[in-house]
Amino acid sequence: MSSRDIRLTVNGKTVSVSVEPRRLLVDVLREQLGLTGTHVGCEHGVCGTCTVLRDGRSIRSCTTFAVQADGAEIRTVEGLADGPDLHPLQDAFWEKQSLQCGYCTPGMLMRCVEILERDLDPSPESVREQVASNLCRCTGYKNITEAVCAAAETMRASSGAHLGVSS
Amino acid sequence: MKPPAFDYAAPTQVAEVIDLLTAHADADPRVIAGGQSLVPLMNFRLAQPGILIDLQHVSGLSDIRLTDDELVIGAMVRQSAAEESADVRAAAPLLVEALGYVAHLPIRNSGTIGGSIAHADPSAELPAAVLALDATMTTAGPRGERRIPAAEFFQGPFATALQPDEILTELRIPRRAGAHAFVEFARTHGSFAVVAVAVDIAVDDAGTVTRAAIALSGVGATAIRATATEDALVGTAPDAESIRSAVAATVAVLSPAGDVHGSSETKVDAARAYLRRGIELALDRAANRR
Amino acid sequence: MTAVERRTPPVRTHKPDRKWVGKSIRRVEDPKFLLGRGGYIGDMTLPGMLHAAVLRSPMPHARIVSIDTSAAETAPGVHAVITGARAAELTDPLPDFGPNPAAHTWRCLALNKVRYVGEGVAVVVADDRYLAEDALALIDVEYEAIPPVVDALDALAADAPLVHDDLGSNCAYERSFDFGDVDGDFARADVVVSDHLRWRRSGGQPLETVGAVADFDHANGSVQIHTNSLSFTSYLFMVAGALKVPTNRLDIVATPAGGSFGTKLFATKPAVIAGMCSRAVGRPVMYLEDRLDNMSNCDHHGSDRHYDVRLAMTREGVFTAIDIDTVDDYGAYIQFGVGHHGNALAQVVGPYTIGSVRYRVRAVLTNKNQQGAYRGFGSEVNNWMLEQLVERAARELGLDPVEIRRRNFIREFPYFIPTGNVYDSGDYDAVLDKTLELGRYEHWRAVQAKAREEGRYIGIGVISAQERSVFSATEFWFWFDEPGAPVTSMPESVTLKVDATGSITATLYSCAFWGNSPETMVAQLVAEEFDCDPHDVSIVYQGSRNGLPATGPGGSRTTVMLAGAVEGASSKIKAKALRAAAHLLEANADDLEWVDGGFQVKGVPEQRKSLGDIAIMLHLFKHSFDEDVESGLEESKVFDHPYTTMPSADRKDLGVFYPFMGHACHIPVVEVDVETGSVIFLDYAAVHDCGTLVNPRSLAGHIQGGTAQGIGTALYEEFVYDAEGQLVTASYLDYPIPTAMEVPELKIGHVETPSPWTPHGIKGGGEGGRMMAPAAINAAVNDALAPLGVRLTELPMTPDRIRAALRAAGHGA
Repeated sequence: MSSRDIRLTVNGKTVSVSVEPRRLLVDVLREQLGLTGTHVGCEHGVCGTCTVLRDGRSIRSCTTFAVQADGAEIRTVEGLADGPDLHPLQDAFWEKQSLQCGYCTPGMLMRCVEILERDLDPSPESVREQVASNLCRCTGYKNITEAVCAAAETMRASSGAHLGVSS
Repeated sequence: MKPPAFDYAAPTQVAEVIDLLTAHADADPRVIAGGQSLVPLMNFRLAQPGILIDLQHVSGLSDIRLTDDELVIGAMVRQSAAEESADVRAAAPLLVEALGYVAHLPIRNSGTIGGSIAHADPSAELPAAVLALDATMTTAGPRGERRIPAAEFFQGPFATALQPDEILTELRIPRRAGAHAFVEFARTHGSFAVVAVAVDIAVDDAGTVTRAAIALSGVGATAIRATATEDALVGTAPDAESIRSAVAATVAVLSPAGDVHGSSETKVDAARAYLRRGIELALDRAANRR
Repeated sequence: MTAVERRTPPVRTHKPDRKWVGKSIRRVEDPKFLLGRGGYIGDMTLPGMLHAAVLRSPMPHARIVSIDTSAAETAPGVHAVITGARAAELTDPLPDFGPNPAAHTWRCLALNKVRYVGEGVAVVVADDRYLAEDALALIDVEYEAIPPVVDALDALAADAPLVHDDLGSNCAYERSFDFGDVDGDFARADVVVSDHLRWRRSGGQPLETVGAVADFDHANGSVQIHTNSLSFTSYLFMVAGALKVPTNRLDIVATPAGGSFGTKLFATKPAVIAGMCSRAVGRPVMYLEDRLDNMSNCDHHGSDRHYDVRLAMTREGVFTAIDIDTVDDYGAYIQFGVGHHGNALAQVVGPYTIGSVRYRVRAVLTNKNQQGAYRGFGSEVNNWMLEQLVERAARELGLDPVEIRRRNFIREFPYFIPTGNVYDSGDYDAVLDKTLELGRYEHWRAVQAKAREEGRYIGIGVISAQERSVFSATEFWFWFDEPGAPVTSMPESVTLKVDATGSITATLYSCAFWGNSPETMVAQLVAEEFDCDPHDVSIVYQGSRNGLPATGPGGSRTTVMLAGAVEGASSKIKAKALRAAAHLLEANADDLEWVDGGFQVKGVPEQRKSLGDIAIMLHLFKHSFDEDVESGLEESKVFDHPYTTMPSADRKDLGVFYPFMGHACHIPVVEVDVETGSVIFLDYAAVHDCGTLVNPRSLAGHIQGGTAQGIGTALYEEFVYDAEGQLVTASYLDYPIPTAMEVPELKIGHVETPSPWTPHGIKGGGEGGRMMAPAAINAAVNDALAPLGVRLTELPMTPDRIRAALRAAGHGA
């Protein structure tokens, strides 16, 4: 029952925290690290509002003990924007109105980051199937799928530009 | 929904795990693999282990090895890693197809092959898949290693042949030529199967079924083999009518418990439909290969 | 029914060239949510804050014999344990708009008796939620079981166990209303179609639960409560009463809510629990429901109705009268009375010229969590019931579903329906035509015919229904001949301030953010008034204590009411600015006009003062103006419902209470897998008419999202209580919420028939998707299964119910 010291690299910054083994990763992120962008929805792994990336892969932080993430690289919504510049997904969500209450949005964004990091040119059908992992009670999903495809196009164009290849 | 307190150990060797399980036998010790079944239970306070032994840093449990005869998957291989492995796709495409139905990718990124099998949820996909693949489970414990065929491994709802001081270390799947299909009926995408069917068959050039392994989950205390259907298909070149009658042979002996997702009759109806669809899909794939 | 003379407000003229109203701008709310800085209630920390957890009853109906809290009190990190008995000393009953609050008394924790699985019996306050839950496990409650009543019809039996002994009955309210000559119309009918229908309870289930952080300041006896529910600020004296604090010592501040769909409407229980705990321990306390708390104890389950209904018509299918008998299972309490049926009565005849209505409602209490508000607030159920009858009538008369509707559409507006409410404007043919086109109706009929030959069951649902907006206070009390409190205020307020640089700040009061877009609406409306960029308008929220009266979201009222308040405040600002401009330009006020952000002399545009020019003068140069001009440029408007009339004494006319009437048509195309009972969507077209749209993309988002919830209601979601009163669907493992794969991408169309009586002709539209979808999907499934002689009359249409209906009709294996 006693606390353990663990190391987490969160959004590129390595921190040491002392945690009871039973503390859920979502609570450690929110309360001990002050990163309240990741949300608690169901606490049994179904809704996905707690989704973060661990070593590049999406996980449910509400059904992960922080001690299980010892040594891992965690990315949360707070790490998406680059200073004042929104990540293309954030910008696309804003443009397409892919959020209404915003509660599922951080987890949804992190899941969508994974989608595009695995495949920067997914079909709309594939996006729709992949975002089925995360519940949204407000939008009915359509604008989310559109935003992911729009962001993918933006990201393909800018990565092409970076390589000197015209889009 | 916060879990109760527990002691925690993160050993690096299988022998340590066994020692911990033995030493803390009176404290309700549990191993934790991916935690995607266990942690929700703990958040509901339906499981209250005194000590959790974390397997994720134990060496030797996360390999995938392919030989001429078999595919060996370590118990701690993440479900998504197995799904994306070229070796698994080559040797056990049924397992890959089954994995696509296991919840959603975020769950599969944490969940493990061994964890799901050891959890033995009667509605889970992997037990049905490994039953149809005639896999063998390797266990480690204080009395040494055991090799348990899938047919003997699943013993009841959430109950397996594992002793309290044993853990699953790997899964061995024999390599066989053939065709496969995994189909599932669930309420919503990614939710638990109401009924799932795993089909692994071999069909010769004349269209005759030479081998049939068919397993269902969601219809009994464990995943089960549809042996009556298998027997009815082997040695025949099935047509619509003979498939219907082969399916009926298994359905006739099903009496699943009803629950909020379906009455017993609804589950039987779904089993009938999906057994047929799984068999037809596997036969189609076999035909396309000829 | 339009023969009777009715007073209506003057018809407004609307601004012809709108610049900002009608534009799908990016929402002004979004950046903070995109960055993960939403500021939801769970994100709040105050120094010294503690956490509460509620012990929930495992029994559906039982006397509380004893509660032993001794072990819990000494558990690590525990600061207080309060039982229901102690809570009844520290607090008074919760605000209750039900028919007989003294007899169905509702408290923040159960006193003496538990009435549903999940009802709170004690609360622990501890250093954190983990420790609080540890302590819950140490509380020992002895219960004496009482047989539960789980079925509403059984609950009406004379010997049924009583949910509330003081009430003497499980029927909390019963009344039958007749509007028009119902018996005569039925006697004269050529054809009468009757039906027996069942709509089971589901719920909004926002991803964020309800919570409150209370900070009781013993130094001055005041309490500030942050919560994700704030509405009806005029009624907050009731919350103060429950907390036993003077009303002017209570401040409730809204935080953004992670979804509500009605279920955070006037959610007082978490606020009272948190307030009670904070006062007891002298430190801030957070009470935030977890998902189990919310599903079993949120006080916002949806409607749960039995219907026996009849529709009278001519042999040509022209409807003349409707007779509705409904039993509604309210659960163990009835906080909003039968307001859900007022929502039905607002549009009870749908878009049809039905001349008379009988409405009998029985509100029954059972051992379940009580009903609250869920998107549609009971009108969506009426839509479904009526469209089921219309479908049945079409089949029995051999009429095409499109044709039977055209024979009955209301076409002259304003139109007073038999209950007395009015429909302000509409064009139901235009909506139907557009949906038929968008939905490729003819194409799908052809596909359906071919599919039938192949043994596939495709169905097309066509429904036309109303979506009322902006409720009046009268619908709380016209149920009673002698109401205790015949209230007539349902205001919304906005304060606009123009600062010395000409920048505008809008203050909203209880118009909390729930996922609707109050800030964007106000920003666009202010921009339209003052010709600025909506993203340059600063929006702030004010808590209740020094806030103007406000009602908040609900009944799709937000946009219209905010528009009225913005218009009123803008008008006052412009009046003062005009006078100032006239003074500064040394011109006659009558010679000035507002153009492009300022006042200028008509015909002499160089003679001009911008709003900024005027504002700095008013702020800093008092001596430039007359004696009676006050410094500054800030005005408020408390905007009351613009069109409400009183019910008649005999209640044969309920008056106007929901006049801004939107309308929609939904045409889903489904395929039913008859072997398993599952339903998939092949297509889905939806056209809504919500008058003038402020932000079309935003409304389309509500239509898509509301329809997704309607799909849940129609096919997946149900709070299931078993025969022993246990809540079987207590988690998301058993309560299936549609994912992206269950929700088709709608083809959405808009028709805009402006309201003659609202600013810009706006009508509310936030609820519409869910008000249509269940009716439409039921119609589609029935259309699919009609060749098999199967008709579904119960929601949700789970695979179980569809297979059972198929088996009963002889379609076994």
